[in-house]
Amino acid sequence: MTDFMNYLVLGLTRGSMYALIALGYTLVYGVLQLINFAHSEVFMSGAFGSYLVIGMFVHDGQHLAWWQVSLVMILGLLSGALVGAGVAWALERVAYRPLRQRGAPKLAFLISAIGMSFFLSQLAGKLFNRLSQNQFPSYFDQNKAVLHILGAAVSRIQLIVIVTALLMMFSLDRLVSGTKLGRSIRGVAEDAPTAALMGIDIDKTISRTFIIGGALGGAAGFLFGTTFVFSNIMGFIPGVKAFAAAVLGGIGNIRGAMIGGLLLGVVENIVPTAPWDGSGGWIGLQWTDVVAFVVLILVLVFRPTGILGERLGRAA
Amino acid sequence: MRTRTLVHVAALSAVGAMALSACSNSTSGGGLSGSASSGGGGGTTYTVAFEGPLSGDNAQLGINEVNGVQLAIDQANAKGDLGFTAKLLKADDGGDASKAPAAAAQVLQDATVMGVVGPSFSGASKAVGNIYGAAGLTIVNPSASNGTLQTLGFKTWHRVVPNDYAEGPAVADWMAKKFKKVFIVNHLSDYGAGVAGAVEKELKAKGVTVQTAGVDAKTTDYGAISQTVKQSGADAMFYGGYDAQGALFAKALTAVGFTGARVAGNGVKSSVFTAGAGAAGNGWYFSCGCQDATVAPSAKDFTAAYTKAFNTPPSTYSPEAFDATNIVLDAIKAAKAAGKVDRAAVNDQVNKTDYAGITAQIKFGPNGDLPAGTGTVNLYTQKNGKIVSLGDVSKAS
Amino acid sequence: MSASIQRRPGERLRDNPLVGRALGCLALSFVLALMIGKQEGTQQDFGLAFREAILGPRIVWFLLIGVLVFLLLTFGPRVQPYVHRPGIRPLAIGGLTVVVAFSLLKWTDSTVVSDGKFSTLSEAASKTGQLAPLARTFFTPPLPWVLFVVAFAVAAAAIVLRKAALSWVGVALSVLVGLWAWYSHSLVVSLLGTPDHSTGALVALLGFLAIAAACAATALSAEESANTRGFVNRIFAWRPGMPLVAVALVLGVMAFAIATWFSPSNQNATLVDTASLFSSTGLAPLAKAYLSWLGYLLFVLSLALAAFAAYRRDPRLAWGAAVLGLVSLVLNLVALYSISALGAKSAFDGANGPWDNLGTGGWLASAAFLLLAGAGYVVATAGRERGTIARTQSDVLAGIGKIPGMSKALILLVVAGALFYPPMATPFWQKVLVSEIGIYVLLAIGLNVVVGWAGLLDLGFIAFYAIGSYTTAYFVGALPIQPPEWMRLSPLLCIPIAIVVCLIAGVSLGYPTLRLRGDYLAIVTLGFGEIIRIVAVNNPGNFTNGPKGAFGIPTPAIHLGPIHIDWGQSSLQYWYLLLVITGLVILAFNRLEQSRLGRAWAAIREDEIAAQATGVNTRNVKLLAFAIGASTSGVAGVFFASQIGYINPDNFVLNNSILVVAYVVFGGMGSLPGAMAGAAVLTWLPEFLKDQVPAEDRQMWIGAVILLMMIFRPAGLVPARRRTAELHGFDDASSAETSAVPAGEGMGGTK
Repeated sequence: MTDFMNYLVLGLTRGSMYALIALGYTLVYGVLQLINFAHSEVFMSGAFGSYLVIGMFVHDGQHLAWWQVSLVMILGLLSGALVGAGVAWALERVAYRPLRQRGAPKLAFLISAIGMSFFLSQLAGKLFNRLSQNQFPSYFDQNKAVLHILGAAVSRIQLIVIVTALLMMFSLDRLVSGTKLGRSIRGVAEDAPTAALMGIDIDKTISRTFIIGGALGGAAGFLFGTTFVFSNIMGFIPGVKAFAAAVLGGIGNIRGAMIGGLLLGVVENIVPTAPWDGSGGWIGLQWTDVVAFVVLILVLVFRPTGILGERLGRAA
Repeated sequence: MRTRTLVHVAALSAVGAMALSACSNSTSGGGLSGSASSGGGGGTTYTVAFEGPLSGDNAQLGINEVNGVQLAIDQANAKGDLGFTAKLLKADDGGDASKAPAAAAQVLQDATVMGVVGPSFSGASKAVGNIYGAAGLTIVNPSASNGTLQTLGFKTWHRVVPNDYAEGPAVADWMAKKFKKVFIVNHLSDYGAGVAGAVEKELKAKGVTVQTAGVDAKTTDYGAISQTVKQSGADAMFYGGYDAQGALFAKALTAVGFTGARVAGNGVKSSVFTAGAGAAGNGWYFSCGCQDATVAPSAKDFTAAYTKAFNTPPSTYSPEAFDATNIVLDAIKAAKAAGKVDRAAVNDQVNKTDYAGITAQIKFGPNGDLPAGTGTVNLYTQKNGKIVSLGDVSKAS
Repeated sequence: MSASIQRRPGERLRDNPLVGRALGCLALSFVLALMIGKQEGTQQDFGLAFREAILGPRIVWFLLIGVLVFLLLTFGPRVQPYVHRPGIRPLAIGGLTVVVAFSLLKWTDSTVVSDGKFSTLSEAASKTGQLAPLARTFFTPPLPWVLFVVAFAVAAAAIVLRKAALSWVGVALSVLVGLWAWYSHSLVVSLLGTPDHSTGALVALLGFLAIAAACAATALSAEESANTRGFVNRIFAWRPGMPLVAVALVLGVMAFAIATWFSPSNQNATLVDTASLFSSTGLAPLAKAYLSWLGYLLFVLSLALAAFAAYRRDPRLAWGAAVLGLVSLVLNLVALYSISALGAKSAFDGANGPWDNLGTGGWLASAAFLLLAGAGYVVATAGRERGTIARTQSDVLAGIGKIPGMSKALILLVVAGALFYPPMATPFWQKVLVSEIGIYVLLAIGLNVVVGWAGLLDLGFIAFYAIGSYTTAYFVGALPIQPPEWMRLSPLLCIPIAIVVCLIAGVSLGYPTLRLRGDYLAIVTLGFGEIIRIVAVNNPGNFTNGPKGAFGIPTPAIHLGPIHIDWGQSSLQYWYLLLVITGLVILAFNRLEQSRLGRAWAAIREDEIAAQATGVNTRNVKLLAFAIGASTSGVAGVFFASQIGYINPDNFVLNNSILVVAYVVFGGMGSLPGAMAGAAVLTWLPEFLKDQVPAEDRQMWIGAVILLMMIFRPAGLVPARRRTAELHGFDDASSAETSAVPAGEGMGGTK
């Protein structure tokens, strides 16, 4: 049981990050019915942005008090979210709006996003570096266990990631279901022409949707960079996984993205390692991605629109 | 305008077969020479080509190497005793075997290229070994350590790093003396699979209990694999992979509280690992068929010059690329001294190399590889964030 | 920025045009400064590159660019009337071409001149005593640019002021400068003495000719605004086939008068030189005759015949011209073979066998003969279309394909280029053509069936390429598990097997998943592609040899009775093999698009439910698209594996799948020539950029190019005709709603 819980905690940590990124995909899909392929670079720029900001305040090898750590964490989250939101906003202005105004075919959006993705990741590589592993300064002992659940140790960073992600997802859910902006997002997602007739500014709503998704993605970039590493090509693999998670939960559906992300993270850690006895597992960790995609395909074969079904508007 | 050419050509047809020797590889075409090439000190220009990834996901490795090549060439030109001007040609293959032939064609069509440093990866090496071989152009490989390359019959191929199969058994023998159960983690790449396979084979032969697992080469999350290693109850872990990923793995292993020994091959022994893993890297063992770079004085000079030139300390395979370039330059010099510089002559000279490099004493066997047993495999460990030598692995306790 | 209910797209810019536009232009200049700035900061100092790019005097130049763009956008409408004057388009194209030739292209391959570009060459050449004064003068640094600016300014003035006299001055000036550049370059080439493959001088000449054409257009045209399409229409309507004859004339004159035919031992011999070189050797009499007189005679004869036939529109004469052109082509090739084979035998430096050491001349002549034969064919078959001319001129939506003879002429030009350009290219470009451009064109053709025609978004297309490659590796015995001896095949025989295997793989992936729509299908195919790659990496049952890959896949060879062809390492031979394969695939697919099946694909792409309602068996039709695309990909895989001789799982990464989709959409999805052009351009571009930007930055520039293309030409390079109509329709009914949220556009109808 302990061992199973260990893998579960690992899975939940990874899953929360997937979920945060997946929300960006799903929000944009909800209003535009488009896969925002460049969202992975929004995530990447969040990591770089927050690094640049908190790098000014903390140094490697410092040991800060808990309140200082929380301050730095909040600062990192905010700066990551801010940079992510800015990049997402610019992305929408450059790669989406002109195409919308021209009534471009749907695949053209996909390709312009791919072009933007190449561009951003290589520009970051040019400006900063192309090392595959940049690290945030270590200013507290991330790996110290803070609590035990059924014998499984949860480290500080894991707790931070999971709690932050859950908080952010909860606030997003409130935002979308309870505020005026949320209503206009849902309105555009449900029926854009009617929403326009009702006085909703479609351009502005789409822009804000990108900003919200970008902020979540940027914050996820900070969390990811703090937990693992960051680089100019860090976005691609988590991006693909998060996209898969969004589809798994039902793309366009906010709660679906959360569930899909957590589920995918857990599946990736639990299934290949079963029966969790240190034997390496029946399946083996080298099949992690195959397991993830097979689960996705199976879910889609039986539920063609994902676990919770489509539609941002209806689910929230 | 045509009459002049015509005279030349007519004269040429008269000499017929002698034409071959008459102007083979003469590069001083017409009156334009010198004016455009930099320096122009030695009159003729010979080029050393580098083939490796300068773009794409593995660009950093190629940049490390090409900087080493550039430094060697700049130093040789600055010294001024070459007797020719050395030039660098960069051919980018993106680390991709399918793009390597085009890069090789780019190298081959420049008649002044006398030697190639590269390709950085084993896959690209396999794709172009025969192309260079057919053209008689010498290859000195700084980093592709796959243990099968020397067996593939490439005619002009050489390598300055020891291959995986030379190193794996030596470190496995050492591990067999100390540990009962070893968990081998295989970073699913050409290098990782090769070195992990060699270690596994030797350990099994020695009767050690072995468990293996693979991890995707591009993943950044080593949580699950670390957990599995810890649970397996192994008293040692061998990691076949590269430095950057190794650093992440080291941190993840520490995070889950794995207490056994951690061992890795030369792919991990670098400043990238020590910087990335930090305290988590302390206590890791590395096997390497290389000299102790902290001891050799030439290595210190190299580090200083490299840092000065490129604003960053040398990284993985920079020293090897530096050595490989010097071997090619020396061979061109020797060929010139012997009277004839062409690709075949340079390749002959490279075959005869006996060069004291900053990574090792380099002497090629008949198949182009460093002969097994000539270089001792040394054992290193990380202590307080620094890699220190423990001496010959066969004698290490 | 207030919200308004009824707004037309783009109105916000018009509400507040200056501020938004100025900010955008400034942002553009900053991004440009970053893109052209220094390479990466160090680990110690992340902001280094950023600071060096932005802080410092260089930013002023970039800001100026931004301001310039701003001014152009703002005052652009004022010059609107001039923009439509006749001649403005050729002037712009010509000016751009010359600038590209002067700044980006290579003017020599010789490594004596470091990067071979115009600026370095001209600096070196202007100081060289051995060069004729005329050429030396041309290369004196500011002069070429001054000449260009003057010619361009004269042409621009002529167009704006509409002075006929000035126009003719412009024509003369541009033609003279162009020829001067070409002539000076040819002197440099003969001085350097190495075979030359550079394109700079030729492109510059073409650019100057375009400027001359602009002047001529403004002098000759009585109209106020340009009507390029009408002009082209008139040319082709006047005498179909005549444009081809004109192109052949230019190529032939270049071939027989100026170009190098044979380049042994660092010499460049023209046709005359070659003839005298071989006069006293044992060259076959036919080839000897060809070199000394027959070649010229054949060219003049076939040119005259084709021109006359085209002028008279006489089908019988035209067939005669076609036959004569083909015969001349064969004779030309025989002569080329003879001289190169003999040259190799007499051990000229660098010759390894027949077809080595040939210059551009022979191939240009071949192209000329092919075009003359083609002109004959066009004339002979155009008679039947004569009635369509009047109709098409009035057709607003007339694509290029509707102008009589135009599509045939274009196809012939492309075929001539595909056949005879590669032998003239450097070994590097030959290799790129075979190992990247050619293969990806084939893949794009295959994916176009799935994405472009059937409207199924497939992000795992490379999986089938991998399956084709590994199938080949298995059947030739390059994998750890060997096939039984009787099943061991030569690579070419693997093609049918790969087709069958990929068909099965395509159907077995498609059967359970094809009821998914749009983006769900995309992620499933993406997953499938990754699964295939990971299986290859993880090496179950030691079948794929894991990351080590399969080494030693033999090169294709044919041994059929007396015919023995071994492809070996020769890029050119692979190129012709690939041409045959691609040609067959194109022929088949071209039929397919027009067939019942093609229409069924279009139907499900546009509206699946309606298609189903009208009796289309959507599942089977989709499966067919999937399987056909997959098997094309498999064929490409066979070719790839046997050409490169070594495969590993890294060749089949997800990024490649995404790239193929990008190629198809970039070119124009649903359009066969579009998909091919997209793949060709986007695989050519990185190799071209090698000489222009740091290698590390190429992907960034490619990303920018893709982005700009999608912004300004969302339908692609060569849009499919059906899709053009769709887009046009959107424009007409441009209510805020349809533009604000793109309709499902048939990709599974997510509306």
